[in-house]
Amino acid sequence: MGKVIIIGAGPAGLSAAITIAEKGLDVLVIDEYMVGGGRLLGQLYEEPNGNWWNGIKESKSLVERAKNAGVEIQLHTPVSNIERIDDEWVIYTESEVHYTSHLLLATGAAETPLPIPGWTLPGVMSVGAAQVMTNVQRVKPGNRGVIVGVNVLSSAIAMELKIANIDVACITLPKMNIPTEKSADPMEVMNSLLHVSHMAPSAFVKLGSKLMTNDFMKRMGITFFPKNGVKMWDIPIMLRKAVVEIYGDGKVEGVKIATISPSGEVVAGTEENISADFVCIAGGLYPLAELAAVAGCPFYHIEELGGYVPLHNEQMQTPVEGLYVAGNITGIEGAKVAISQGVTAGLAIANDVLGGGLESNIQQAIADIETTRDNAYIQFHPEVKEGKRKLQQYWEEHQNKSVAITL
Amino acid sequence: MTDNKMIICRCEEVTYGELVETAEKFGCTPRELKLRTRAGMGYCGGRTCRSAVDSIALAATERDISEITLKYQPPIRPVSFGKLGDVTK
Repeated sequence: MGKVIIIGAGPAGLSAAITIAEKGLDVLVIDEYMVGGGRLLGQLYEEPNGNWWNGIKESKSLVERAKNAGVEIQLHTPVSNIERIDDEWVIYTESEVHYTSHLLLATGAAETPLPIPGWTLPGVMSVGAAQVMTNVQRVKPGNRGVIVGVNVLSSAIAMELKIANIDVACITLPKMNIPTEKSADPMEVMNSLLHVSHMAPSAFVKLGSKLMTNDFMKRMGITFFPKNGVKMWDIPIMLRKAVVEIYGDGKVEGVKIATISPSGEVVAGTEENISADFVCIAGGLYPLAELAAVAGCPFYHIEELGGYVPLHNEQMQTPVEGLYVAGNITGIEGAKVAISQGVTAGLAIANDVLGGGLESNIQQAIADIETTRDNAYIQFHPEVKEGKRKLQQYWEEHQNKSVAITL
Repeated sequence: MTDNKMIICRCEEVTYGELVETAEKFGCTPRELKLRTRAGMGYCGGRTCRSAVDSIALAATERDISEITLKYQPPIRPVSFGKLGDVTK
């Protein structure tokens, strides 16, 4: 019997690997990064119970458990292509070709950039890059930064930078253009922040968000939102200012910001310069589905899940034979959901390889994903469950269609 | 600097102005916009500009929700010609 191959050594991939190895099967995990753990590595935040979720610690423990279970992990190995030849998946890395009957794609997510004038200057990076530099590589991205894009991810990372003693001048919106449209609309941004207001460290913000229950209050809120922002961890979050340009001679020297109207238009004559030596762009995350796409898996665009996601069922199985998915490739959610999806995918694969017997474990694992999702501290999209429901519907439509073709 | 002069595709040096103008002129889908301007066709495989090119084209055309708008092609990561052709030194 060959080995199961998993692409991606993040929370989903590693938990799947552990699950499969514990059923006595051989597993190989491949990842392009030089450390196991995926985006879990960058995470550091305080949970409501006062415990700190330290991604590096969690990653180490997952890698340790995987190794103890006999999982082989190959790091620093990008996969450039996969294809199905005869009854097998062929996985191409730069130096080797691997074969397997069961392939799990746990490739996570990528960041959406927000193009603003000057964004090609050295010193401009995605907020995730600043997080990896700070928390994983322990290199300061700079001494004083500006974060462009107000969302859950950027505010969490702003706090991490603060802990690392890096000055964050402000978190603010990008200037509005076609690609930045949603991230640049104060009203839209405020709506998306309201559902995470339970995370706000200040009672004032929490109380304020309780008052924002109808559109009138929201409009009032955004109209009277203090121009200099509301401070969170001492960092001003500015919903009525936007970065109109990043400037510098050969590298970032600062940003030009301006006051914007409640609908996002720049108010002429309000421009001012803020000096900074790095700029983080935070445009949100989308499922990184390149490999599922080259494998020929059907896709659906589901806004609530962050973009195009490969079609799959509750057991994390795609309609393409022997191809499974887990983690953020199936929709943007937190690491804990990714872990429970990994367990489900792992059980589904083991069940298929072993010829059955794990059906009740799979049902339990599917139920666990739901529970984890319901208890998630950070929800990237308030309607993620609606997104999952749509996906399930597309799956059923697809199944009915394939039955019709076979008949 | 104005938005129009801003580079969107770094590999092929395609500006925002060029993309918006082409999208408006031809009412193109993301794929057509890519082919007309070469945005997203450079060595990074469109990893940086993909979502921007997508959104500019989708401002005027309808998104096909059942198909990825800008196709992925292998190799999805850079591979040297030697390795790709299995040439050993």
